[in-house]
Amino acid sequence: MNPVARIVLIVVYSILGLAAAGRATVQILEKFSEAPVAYTVSALSAVVYIVIAVALWRGWETVALVGSSVELVGVLVVGTLGVVDSSLWPDETVWTGFGSGYGWVPLLLPLVALYFLLKGRQRRAALSSPSDS
Amino acid sequence: MDALVTFIYPAVLVVSALLVVVGVVTLVLVRAHRVLEWVVTAAYVAVVVQALTVILLLLTGTSADLVLAVGYLLATVALLPLLGIGRLGTPEAAEYDADPNRPVLAPDQIARVDAGAAIAVGIALAVASWRLVIVLGG
Repeated sequence: MNPVARIVLIVVYSILGLAAAGRATVQILEKFSEAPVAYTVSALSAVVYIVIAVALWRGWETVALVGSSVELVGVLVVGTLGVVDSSLWPDETVWTGFGSGYGWVPLLLPLVALYFLLKGRQRRAALSSPSDS
Repeated sequence: MDALVTFIYPAVLVVSALLVVVGVVTLVLVRAHRVLEWVVTAAYVAVVVQALTVILLLLTGTSADLVLAVGYLLATVALLPLLGIGRLGTPEAAEYDADPNRPVLAPDQIARVDAGAAIAVGIALAVASWRLVIVLGG
């Protein structure tokens, strides 16, 4: 994986992890009973962001790949459910509105991460395959 | 509160904007990395002054939500170590780490990593500081 992209992704995931963890902590401590599902999703997103940041730093590419996929699915599912029936989410999560509250970074970030992770994997596979010459 | 809203908070916003602008310039022109290092130092100074002012405000009594105020305050401080994170990719830093997956960066890559981090931190710092001032009733 491109080392510049890898470290910049670690920085952005760390920032999102910090933001989501802070948000989830306040929501769960102060008003969990108002929207338990939404606040649990907030906490889950924080865990996913932190796991991906650590995985990228430690070079656990499969973990980062799975984490980014979970993140993308989460943003799409939560965002779509919010559009289909807004009453499903009494309060906002990080992934509500496809991450619009965070400048759509939660939607774009897994796409960028998956691009670099898959490109790196492809390059490594090409280098390890036997040459025809 | 007046000092925070009139001088310190605007200074943090200016530094945040500089982080983003100089970060973008450094991505294009690696030579601008030296300027980015000055801006990073200014960011440290501005955030530390803001943190001390907010701590003083919280200690002298405010009607703000303490949990939110301390949370956003910690967030602004926690962002600082991410500035200049390219230092972790220098060959000297990697020497002390047995991890074979640790990235070792060339000087131009260090500049680009610092630039990318500066852009992300600049945006996050502006938002966290803005929320902090709102929570404090500014």
